[in-house]
Amino acid sequence: MLNYLSNPQRFMGFSAWAAPLFAVLATLLFAIGLPWALVFSPPDYQMGDTVRIMYLHVPAASLSLGIYAFMGIASFVSLVWRHVLADVAARAAAPIGATFAGICLVTGSFWGAPTWGTWWEWDGRLTSMLVLFIIYLGYIALWSAIEEEDRAARLAAILCLVGVINLPIVKFSVDWWSTLHQPASIMRSGGTSIDDSMIGPLATMAGAYAALFATLTLYGMRAAIFRRRVEAAELRNAA
Amino acid sequence: MIEGGWDYVLPAYAIALGALAALVIAVALHTMRWAKRAKALEQDKRA
Repeated sequence: MLNYLSNPQRFMGFSAWAAPLFAVLATLLFAIGLPWALVFSPPDYQMGDTVRIMYLHVPAASLSLGIYAFMGIASFVSLVWRHVLADVAARAAAPIGATFAGICLVTGSFWGAPTWGTWWEWDGRLTSMLVLFIIYLGYIALWSAIEEEDRAARLAAILCLVGVINLPIVKFSVDWWSTLHQPASIMRSGGTSIDDSMIGPLATMAGAYAALFATLTLYGMRAAIFRRRVEAAELRNAA
Repeated sequence: MIEGGWDYVLPAYAIALGALAALVIAVALHTMRWAKRAKALEQDKRA
């Protein structure tokens, strides 16, 4: 599949129908997930209505980690096999991952204020998540700072791979250190600790975020391929 | 049970959905801009 899509022409053919399909899927899932999360899901017996922030916060956190892992794989493929579209995919995914990481931090603060009594705490999970957000910004800035695209791609891929070290730190920070943040409640041994009535809206919102990521990444990659075509033609005309 | 949760829930949703909307608009405008230029280039080539 990766080899098949390494041809920009074939990728454009694939993304021409896949991107709108994911856009429709994301719209549908948000249309179901948002009212379910905001209105129809029950309040928590301890946290009350503040638990509704979970439906924004948890998928944003998971996706921001997942997107960075995706960028790490794409960067590795770009460095090792010089896959034509790998750096394009990593670059297109970065602003989406940064937005999800930002949403995770902000919604976490709004959730922490009433439940922990503080908007921010320099504990392992919050700090490592902030570091992930800063790495995203650094990656985006590096791409913008270097004019020569091949060099920018190489350096950005190296930065991305170095940043992968932070992923297990974010994930296991709640196990390694005593933190204010609760331990894992979904992906843990012994099954999820979340009530069944909350799993539906949470899964729907996670699906909506994932479909949105697929949509925006595909459109971002299409924009990059269009841009390369235009710039190549302009260079040919100038010569 | 924590009371007054909506005072935190509504701003959290407004900020998150606002950020997602801004991201969607930015990607859409960026893609449309380059698609339009690539299409114009293609038409020039054919002409």
